[in-house]
Amino acid sequence: MDNLINNILTVAGLRKNYKGKTAVDGVSFSFSPGEFVGLLGPNGAGKTTTIKMLTGLIKPSSGMIYYYGIDFYEKSQKTKALIGVVPQQNNLDRDLTAYENLYLHAIAYGIPKALRREKIDELLDFSGLTGYRNRPVKQFSGGTMRRLVILRALLHDPKILFLDEPTVGLDPQIRRVIWDFIVKINKMKNTTILLTTHYIEEAERLCKRVLIINNGLIIVDGDPEQLKDGMGRFVLEVYKDDKVDEEFFDSRQEALAALENSTFTAKVRGVTLEDVFLRLTGRRINV
Amino acid sequence: MFNGMCAVLYRELTIYRKRALKQILSSSLSPLLFLIAFGWGFGSGVTVGGLSYISFLIPGLITMNSLNQSFAISAEINISRFYFHTFDEYLIAPVSLVGIAVGEASFGVFRGLLATMIIFIYAFLFNVPLSFNPLFILAILLHTFIFSFLAVTTSMIVKDHSGQALVNNFVITPMIFLCGTFYPIDKLPHAFKLLVYAFPLTYSTKVIRAALTGGQVSFIYVGLMVFYCIIFFLTSLWALRSVEA
Ligand SMILES: Nc1ncnc2c1ncn2[C@@H]1O[C@H](COP(=O)(O)OP(=O)(O)OP(=O)(O)O)[C@@H](O)[C@H]1O
Ligand SMILES: [Mg+2]
Repeated sequence: MDNLINNILTVAGLRKNYKGKTAVDGVSFSFSPGEFVGLLGPNGAGKTTTIKMLTGLIKPSSGMIYYYGIDFYEKSQKTKALIGVVPQQNNLDRDLTAYENLYLHAIAYGIPKALRREKIDELLDFSGLTGYRNRPVKQFSGGTMRRLVILRALLHDPKILFLDEPTVGLDPQIRRVIWDFIVKINKMKNTTILLTTHYIEEAERLCKRVLIINNGLIIVDGDPEQLKDGMGRFVLEVYKDDKVDEEFFDSRQEALAALENSTFTAKVRGVTLEDVFLRLTGRRINV
Repeated sequence: MFNGMCAVLYRELTIYRKRALKQILSSSLSPLLFLIAFGWGFGSGVTVGGLSYISFLIPGLITMNSLNQSFAISAEINISRFYFHTFDEYLIAPVSLVGIAVGEASFGVFRGLLATMIIFIYAFLFNVPLSFNPLFILAILLHTFIFSFLAVTTSMIVKDHSGQALVNNFVITPMIFLCGTFYPIDKLPHAFKLLVYAFPLTYSTKVIRAALTGGQVSFIYVGLMVFYCIIFFLTSLWALRSVEA
């Protein structure tokens, strides 16, 4: 019970059935304040469905959700104020300017009128988007829209921020800008973050903890570094005819020694979460 | 409740301001065509229940035009639900569903009232006398709220755009043609009358016409309008509660 109150989020047995299909099959986890967690899984694993249940966009078929020990469905207005959401698809009002989009959000979240303009301008400055303030959103590039959506989710100072595939479809340079921004939010505002992704690199670089989800089930919950340690840190990939054999080693030296002895084409690389996923499920996250 | 309502109204009115001219122009044309076709076309000699036909027609055009404009929010909410997902913002926010429903409906009423003003201008131009009184104001508010709440309900129930089009074609259009907007319903065959008396537009047309032309207003009909307004308010809440994104 103590933990329920201290944990910003506690989820127990969360499940969602669609007609004849189980999208999320009973997941449980809890987050301490300030954690940076990744929900990693292939397409269709149930990441978006999970986020939608946690943010009130769809109703779970069963299971419990608590924010600081408060039942989300009993006190949804109170708990929703703690949550910021960046949905998978940008949902800005394209006919409104950046400022108007943020202003709308400020009204909905009950930010007092006298503070709205100041808070908006402060955040635009924090994210370097001041130059876009009065332009209609429909003129923005994908990366700028994405940053604005993240910004909007922060306007009411949420304690927890859900980001559903924040960098999907963006070029590598913009992706980096967004990564830096999210890390800055976590560090400077101590906002708890749950980010879904199917990019291995994104989960490894950003998250201190990853939940790996497959077919609606969480199959792993842990520190990415420790998960990789558990596999051995290095892989020897051996190309035999048309298939690739993988051997795992604890150190680079051992892997290199094995490479010397191999008669096939081979290479040594570091272990990734993809290997963890492959070992557990027999398939890859990204095909 | 107020945060949700204010947020919805802020959004709708900010967007409306950017499109106002286009919207007003497009809601001015079709009633004008009706006036020319039926008002002038039939000539001034025709009378209906003691009124010249054009005096009979003008209140009908008011209910038609305001209904169309109020109900039009339905299609727009649909677009924001299915295309741009902007509606999700309200569902995620810590606001009450009552606020969302009342906010959207108030915007529908606002558009309905603008549409009403357009017909008043036509009435003036066509030299048709109308009596503007508190009863009319009450009636037009009830009328536009009824169809705005119906619009909110519809937009939450339908699964896609074609569902919305189906409602427009099978409910709204028949209602406009059957409920006494263009002709008195007592000439309709009995079976049709039963149908017609199930539609709320029948009552709002009768009350609004009576109020504007100095006729006898039936308070039973006013009561029925209140009844429909409450029913559609409740259905809009129910539909909002069960909506999923
Ligand atoms: N409204 C729905 N009706 C029926 N099935 C659905 C619905 N929404 C999602 N699903 C199914 O549930 C499963 C999980 O979908 P979900 O969108 O949560 O996956 P995801 O992990 O977010 O995938 P992606 O990486 O593609 O975004 C998928 O098989 C999907 O087809
Ligand atoms: Mg998804």
